[in-house]
Amino acid sequence: MKTNLTQIHEVINQHGTNREALVEILRDLSQRSGYLTKEAMEVVATQLQLPPSEVFSVASFYTKINVEQLGKHVIKFCEDAPCHIAGGREIWEALEHKLGIQFGETTTDGFWTLWPTSCLGLCAVGPVMLVDDEPYGNLTPEKVTDILNHYRAGDAA
Amino acid sequence: MSKIKLTINDKEVMVEEGQTILEVAKEVGVDIPVLCHHPALTNWGACRMCLVEVAGMRGLQTACTCPATEGMNIQTETEQAVNVRKFVLELLFSERNHYCMFCQMSGDCELQDAAYRYGLEHFTYPRPYEKFEIDASRKYFIQDPNRCILCSRCIRACAEIAANHTLNLKGRGAGTRVIADLDVPFGESTCIECGTCLQVCPTGALIDVRSAYGGREKDVTHTQTTCLQCSVGCQLDVVTRYERLLRVDGIFGAAPNDGLLCVKGRFEPLYDEERQRVQTPLVRKDGQLQECSWEEALPWVAEKLATGTAQGLAATATTNAAFQAFGKLFEKIGDPAGLLCGTLPELGYGKGATIPDVLAADYIVVAGAKPLTTHKVVGYFIKRAADNGATIALVGEPENELRSYAQLNVSYAEMDKVSVDIPDAAAVVVVYGAGLTAEGIAALKPLAEKAVFLGLEPGRNGRGAAAAGLAPLAPAPAETRLVLLGEHPVKAAWVEQLNGAFTVVQASYHSPLTEKADVVLPTPIWAERSGHVTNLEGQVLPLQAALELPSGVRDEAEVLVALAKLIG
Repeated sequence: MKTNLTQIHEVINQHGTNREALVEILRDLSQRSGYLTKEAMEVVATQLQLPPSEVFSVASFYTKINVEQLGKHVIKFCEDAPCHIAGGREIWEALEHKLGIQFGETTTDGFWTLWPTSCLGLCAVGPVMLVDDEPYGNLTPEKVTDILNHYRAGDAA
Repeated sequence: MSKIKLTINDKEVMVEEGQTILEVAKEVGVDIPVLCHHPALTNWGACRMCLVEVAGMRGLQTACTCPATEGMNIQTETEQAVNVRKFVLELLFSERNHYCMFCQMSGDCELQDAAYRYGLEHFTYPRPYEKFEIDASRKYFIQDPNRCILCSRCIRACAEIAANHTLNLKGRGAGTRVIADLDVPFGESTCIECGTCLQVCPTGALIDVRSAYGGREKDVTHTQTTCLQCSVGCQLDVVTRYERLLRVDGIFGAAPNDGLLCVKGRFEPLYDEERQRVQTPLVRKDGQLQECSWEEALPWVAEKLATGTAQGLAATATTNAAFQAFGKLFEKIGDPAGLLCGTLPELGYGKGATIPDVLAADYIVVAGAKPLTTHKVVGYFIKRAADNGATIALVGEPENELRSYAQLNVSYAEMDKVSVDIPDAAAVVVVYGAGLTAEGIAALKPLAEKAVFLGLEPGRNGRGAAAAGLAPLAPAPAETRLVLLGEHPVKAAWVEQLNGAFTVVQASYHSPLTEKADVVLPTPIWAERSGHVTNLEGQVLPLQAALELPSGVRDEAEVLVALAKLIG
């Protein structure tokens, strides 16, 4: 991905160049372009007068901030006990099987990234997963297929 | 400082106020184990090894961060404290590969010591650790994250001592790793290879390539000496075994460098010295340099020096005693002697500074000097001062490598921009070097009232040479020339300039200069030297031999005195 310098400066201008603004800047940039490029982190480091290693350390600490390129859509599947009891294991296997990847990986076409996550607070409708920021509950293997197809179709349209 | 009274392990003690529990314990001989703590670094309180019980305080306290106060009652080895330490160690051992028998640090490892101390004889928890890649992209040392306990000593050393900020942590949890910059291989990072991280690592996560598996602490010899690679005069801890150089460490607490070294002092002399040693005296017979004895070589040299015109030229890589003897020898034969290398311009004003003054300064002016290239430790000290809020002003140095740390970068003509700030500064240090021009000397003069001046002497022991009355001297026609070279690298210009005379060279290594010489007299290298040098502050610092002198090699001072005697 090409680093959008104008966008980076826009975000920095919005949050200011105080050290305290670092997390907000990184989160904002990560959200806008999906992940932080090395160039983006270099620019942030220079502007905030911080060592690049510190910027990277903060960015890599938070799961909401990505330092590596992810798939177009990110699935976060709940791996905690309430979802597990409600049939989570079948969904876990269905996701890996249908996408052809393991948790923590991205499909070769760069469309899906599959991540486990901790409790999303939606235990009443478990098993639960997020696709990007959209929650899906009461999952069954069939429902998972529909959801995956829906995103594929949406992308094709 | 007032004294406070407290109780530690049922012993009542009087100690200085303002210390941590750990410092107090150390002072009174109570040993509290630590992993993340290092006396040269800020206290961290992360590893939980130093947890102690303090009566009346809730929970256990980290001794390395908890201030000792009047009336405290501290117990360091209670059942609760010991159990917690054991628990922490069990977790550390389950998190990564800590199979000590394969690790070069085994026997000298702080983690292993703690495990033995608290009787960890088996693994309590499963070891589901993932395997990390080893980073061997740096020339002098290797990082093995599998041995890392994430104590962050290396990160703090890089930031606080070297002021370089290359290292930090990536991620979190069990997969956390120490990384460089934006997670690039160390060899491609902003690392300056000062080796401070390597020295403070408590485990085998940072490995010195040369000394690894070369001998444990109980097998090696430590010798304190002074670095001869530039005029800073850093104190070195030279580690040897079986007359072999294993490693060089810094000495925390020893002035002027307080443990910080640079790549030129710590690694290059051990790893990168490719020149061939001169082992015995050599004399030119039938156009060829041939080995001969000292008894044969010296009278011949003495005779040559005593008859006809002679000139003495010295590089700056030798001891004060050798310079003195060199000066006296030429005084005796009535011929000129001086230095091959340039020296600092004379300011004619201002008070001298010490190297630690740089750290205490809140305003530093750099003029005519490139400390990050020529006197690296001073350069790192300037960066450290900048980290602590000091203003850095570059004068007449638009392209200086310190420019990204400088608030002001002005020409000599714009000195008034610096002068405006000076009244508000508490401690001003001017760092100047051989590049200072006459214009610069005039421009800096107004600072003389308030500032102290640190001259970065370009010669390694240039101050020692100056004390012996030696000044830069252009090679002039002479029938005999004596060159006191030591282990100094030879400049191409010298070889040309010295053509055409009967040339005697005192040198440690073969070089284009020794090839042209008529007599070569072998000299010691830095690790074999005894005596003294004078550093750029003017401090006379001792040299102690870490290695025995090879049998054919003699100290220059001794040889020069012998020559003077032979001349009579």
